[in-house]
Amino acid sequence: MGNISIIVRLKSPDPAAMTAMSTFRRIYPEMCPDSLQRYDYWCFMNPRQGRETINGIVSRYHDIVNPNKQTWSFINESGDSDDRSDDSMVWIDVRVTDRIDSVSENWTAILRRSNSEVDGVLCSVLWRFGFAPGVSSDNARNKVLELTVSTYRDHGLLANPVSQKIDLPAPLKI
Amino acid sequence: MMSVPLVAVIQFPGSNCEYETERVIRNSGMDSRIYRWNQWRELKDSLPDAYVLPGGFSFQDRIRAGAVAAKERIMDLVFSEAEDGKPVLGICNGAQILVESGMVPGWEKGRIESALAANHISGRSGYLSRWIFLHATARAQQICPWLEINGIIPLPIAHAEGRFVFSEENHGRTERSAALKYCDEKGNESGDYPVNPNGSFLNLAGVMNDRGNVLAMMPHPERAFWLWQLPPSLPGEWGDRRTHSLLSGSYASSKGPGSLFFTSLADFFKGER
Repeated sequence: MGNISIIVRLKSPDPAAMTAMSTFRRIYPEMCPDSLQRYDYWCFMNPRQGRETINGIVSRYHDIVNPNKQTWSFINESGDSDDRSDDSMVWIDVRVTDRIDSVSENWTAILRRSNSEVDGVLCSVLWRFGFAPGVSSDNARNKVLELTVSTYRDHGLLANPVSQKIDLPAPLKI
Repeated sequence: MMSVPLVAVIQFPGSNCEYETERVIRNSGMDSRIYRWNQWRELKDSLPDAYVLPGGFSFQDRIRAGAVAAKERIMDLVFSEAEDGKPVLGICNGAQILVESGMVPGWEKGRIESALAANHISGRSGYLSRWIFLHATARAQQICPWLEINGIIPLPIAHAEGRFVFSEENHGRTERSAALKYCDEKGNESGDYPVNPNGSFLNLAGVMNDRGNVLAMMPHPERAFWLWQLPPSLPGEWGDRRTHSLLSGSYASSKGPGSLFFTSLADFFKGER
């Protein structure tokens, strides 16, 4: 057994991503990415029947994935999504997770109570920054950190490190 | 002594308490005007004496409550006026904007040193709306223009992200920034729900900067300005006052606990504090 993660996105353009982009354009015109995508990121710990368990949870709980307005896909062991691929840009991903999170705690309790065969759930937000080809990965990572981590009023936007953990996983192939 | 002070109420897209906030400021003997987030020039030209960031959901709470509004140009002006010592109050979403602006606790200029994180209550998550009790700390009563407040104050809260959080290395100096703390109707503090309704560090309901002129508070004083706004079942002194005013016929015109924040500021401008 291991952990299995899924990403969930809106079928329509994500309003939070649009607002983030317009804010970046205003406060960081030189560093602004060419694309910004936002996903809910759910990590299910030790599902007993692997993907079958997750399929069951997702189809049962529309608070996790609302099929009317959201789509989802698995992230496989190599960090790729089953969704679709786009290699034309330089992608840097950032995962933002609340250090203390009632949502994860309560979903863990709900799923344990309903005998859904997972040890726990961890909810995060995944932001995907896309830069036009020609930007080095290091340069792109530095820009992403600058844009993400809110340390001063005029520095960073997407995560407050006082209450949130920020990590840069290997970029997914979505 | 000064002429009638002007208190600016800043309206962001998604603010929803600006009109009642403006009204209670006027009912406290001050002038008030609402400025939209893109009216920074008008705001600058009108030289307000104090600023209030009202409650609501600025920018629909996208990304993180208060995070986008904190980057708006109008906040440059509020920030600079606060540096000059003018009183600034953030209520609920306004408090979230002040935190994301680094204006409270403000130990290092402009640095974001705290967060208003999602409520942390066992067995539930999300939005919480209820009445709470709080008291002002002794230091806040001395230095904060909004807080000439004694005793136990009941106020309503309505938020999903109201838990004050500080980095562990800053825990030692957080107490001096404490302005308002949750307690029960007798004044006893507890870290447990419902006395502390969101898991806030040190039971904090309000945090101020070192000078005391900037106050970020999660409860809504403008929603408890009149005694008739208090619920019938409210225990404690203010519940008794409500019952008494109802029996004595002064119910409609008697001021409630939330008025203390605004009359306190009015007294500050009159030089009575």
